[in-house]
Amino acid sequence: MDKIRIGIPRSIHYYYYGDLWIKFFKKLDCDVIISPKTNREIMEKGIQYANDEMCLSMKNLLGHISYLQGKCDYIIIPRIDNYGVENQTCTNFLAIYDIVNNMFSQDILSYNIDVAHHQTEEKGFLEMGRKLGFTKKEIQRAYRDAKTFVQNKKQALIRKNLEKLNSEKEKVLLIGHPYNMYDDYIGRPIISFLEKLNVEVIYSDLFYSSITGPISKQLSKELYWKFNKESIGAIPVVQNKVDGIIFLSTFPCGPDSLVNELVMRKIHLPYINLILDDVDGRAGFETRLESFVDIMQERKRKHV
Amino acid sequence: MKPCYLGIDIGSISTKGVILDENNEIIRSLYIWTEGNPIEAVRNLLDGLKNDLPDCYEIKGIGTTGSARKLIGLMVDANIVKNEITAHAIGTLSTYPDVHTILEIGGQDSKIILLENGIITDYSMNTLCAAGTGSFLSSQAKRLGIPIEEFGSMALESQNPVKIAARCTVFAESDLIHKAQLGYEKKDIVAGLCKSIVLNYLNNVGKGKKIKGPIVFQGGVSKNKGVVKYFEEVLGEKVIVDANSHLMGAIGIAILAHNNAVGKTYQLNIRDISFETKGMECNRCSNHCELLKIYKDQKLIDSWGSKCGKF
Repeated sequence: MDKIRIGIPRSIHYYYYGDLWIKFFKKLDCDVIISPKTNREIMEKGIQYANDEMCLSMKNLLGHISYLQGKCDYIIIPRIDNYGVENQTCTNFLAIYDIVNNMFSQDILSYNIDVAHHQTEEKGFLEMGRKLGFTKKEIQRAYRDAKTFVQNKKQALIRKNLEKLNSEKEKVLLIGHPYNMYDDYIGRPIISFLEKLNVEVIYSDLFYSSITGPISKQLSKELYWKFNKESIGAIPVVQNKVDGIIFLSTFPCGPDSLVNELVMRKIHLPYINLILDDVDGRAGFETRLESFVDIMQERKRKHV
Repeated sequence: MKPCYLGIDIGSISTKGVILDENNEIIRSLYIWTEGNPIEAVRNLLDGLKNDLPDCYEIKGIGTTGSARKLIGLMVDANIVKNEITAHAIGTLSTYPDVHTILEIGGQDSKIILLENGIITDYSMNTLCAAGTGSFLSSQAKRLGIPIEEFGSMALESQNPVKIAARCTVFAESDLIHKAQLGYEKKDIVAGLCKSIVLNYLNNVGKGKKIKGPIVFQGGVSKNKGVVKYFEEVLGEKVIVDANSHLMGAIGIAILAHNNAVGKTYQLNIRDISFETKGMECNRCSNHCELLKIYKDQKLIDSWGSKCGKF
C-alpha cells in the first residue's frame, strides 16, 4: 500500500506544531510534504484567495494551502478554540478549518483543541490517527515520542534565547507571533536587517510560558488571548536587560491592534511598532529600524 | 586650504545641499526641486554649490540623507549615509541644543522626534498615508489655482477656517470640493486645509506622544505660515521655525560627515562620471525580486532589492 501523504502548510500552525506533526506522522510511517518557504508567488496566490478582511498571515496560509493542493492526500489544519478558560486564540484559529474546507476541494485532516471543554491536544491526535486507520497504541506511542522530542527542542531554544540577554550588543525584544517573525517573507527580512545592524534579537515566543503568562498581568489583567499574553509577558521579564522593544504585526490583526497599543503606553523603553502589509517596499522599515538602532546606541552612550 | 563638509538631503520633492566650515557654520547652501530624478538633481546641486565655493576650501567629507540617500551616497562616494531622523535631530540640536520636540513635515513623510537632554528618546513616522504631508498640500494648491508660496499668507487672512475632514486625503479632497461648491471663500478653505494638516499630523504621527516645548517645526511645510499658526493654536505653545528650517537634514548630515571624516579629499566633478541605474526582475526563483543595478562609468558597483542577498 502506498504511504499516506500528509501536507503541512508552512504557515500559521506550522510555527507552533510543525515539529510535532512531522515527528508524529513520520513515526506512523506517513509521507510528510511541507510547502516551501514563503515567496512572492505563494503570497500572491494567497491574496487572490483571501477576502478583504483577512490579515496578511491568513492570506499567507491560503497561499501555502493552494501550493499543497493536489500534491498530497490530506492537508492538516486544526481547529483551535481555546487552551483553557481565559486562554483563547484569535477567532481565525477557530475559523481556518471551515474557511479552507469551503474554499478548496482537498481532503483535510483536522482535530479540535477546546481545553475548556476537555478536548485536549492528545485527544485530538487520537481522533486524527484513528481517521487514518492506526491503532490507539500506535498513535499514543508516536504522539509521546514526538511530544518529548518537541519539548526538548523548545527547551534548548528557550535557553539559547535567554542566553542572548548577556550579550554585549544592543539587545531588542521582538514581540510578535512566531508565524510572522519566522516567516521568510514577513519577519525574516526584518530580523536579518537587524542582525546586519549588529543587534541581538530576543524572541518573545521563546520564554517559559509558565512565567510569561501570569506575569503579563502586570501590564493588563483583562487579556484572554493566550499568545498575546505570553508574548507581552516577556516584557516584565527582560525590562532591565534589553535596550528596546519592537512590536511586529501584520495588517489587520485584531488582538495585536488592541494589545500592542495598550502595552506601548506602559513601557519605559524605546519602542517601535511595525505593521506589515502586502506592500513590497523595504525602504520604509529600513529607515525606521536604522533610526531606532541609532536611538538605542545614543541612549547607551549617554547612560540615560 | 581650509576643510569644509558637504551634506546632501535628497527628499522626494526637493534636494538640499549645505557646505559647512570647521565650526559647522554654513558657507554655502542650495535648495532645488528633485523632479523625480534624484541623480540629475544632485548633479545640478553640486554644480551650483561648486561654482560659488571660494577657492580656499577643500571638501573633506560628504554625507547623504533623505529617501535617496543610498543611491546618492554611492554616486558621490559619501563617507556617511544616515537616515533622515538622526540627521534632522543632529541638525536641529546644532542650533537649538535644548529642543524637546521636532515636528517635521516633508513631501511624502511626516515625522515627530522627541528629545531629552540632547538625545532622541522617541520618534514616529507616518505610515502608508499621505494625508498631512507636503504633497497633499501642493496638489490641493494646484486644484485651487493658488501658488504654493502664497498658500500660507492667504490662510492667515481668514477669520473663519472651514472644517475639513482630517482623516484621509481622499475624504479631505471631497470635503474641500463640497465646501467650494457651497460658496465658501477661498481663503477660508485654504485656512481649513492648513488646519486639517495640523490635526491630521497630531492625530496620526503625534498620537500618544507628549509634545513639550521648545518645539521646532521644519521640513518644507514649515515655510507655510498658516500651518505654523494652527500648530501654535492647537498646541498652545510657541512653535519655532528657523530661517534654515528646510536645510536642517542637510546640516545634520554635514555635521555627521565632519565627525566621521576619513581624511580623504573630495572633488565635485560628478558631471564627468557616468552614473546609471537599471531596473530588472530577477527570475532565478519564485520571489521575482525587483532588482536595481547601479553602474558607475559602465561598471556595476552595486545592486539592491534581492531578498536572497545574492546580488
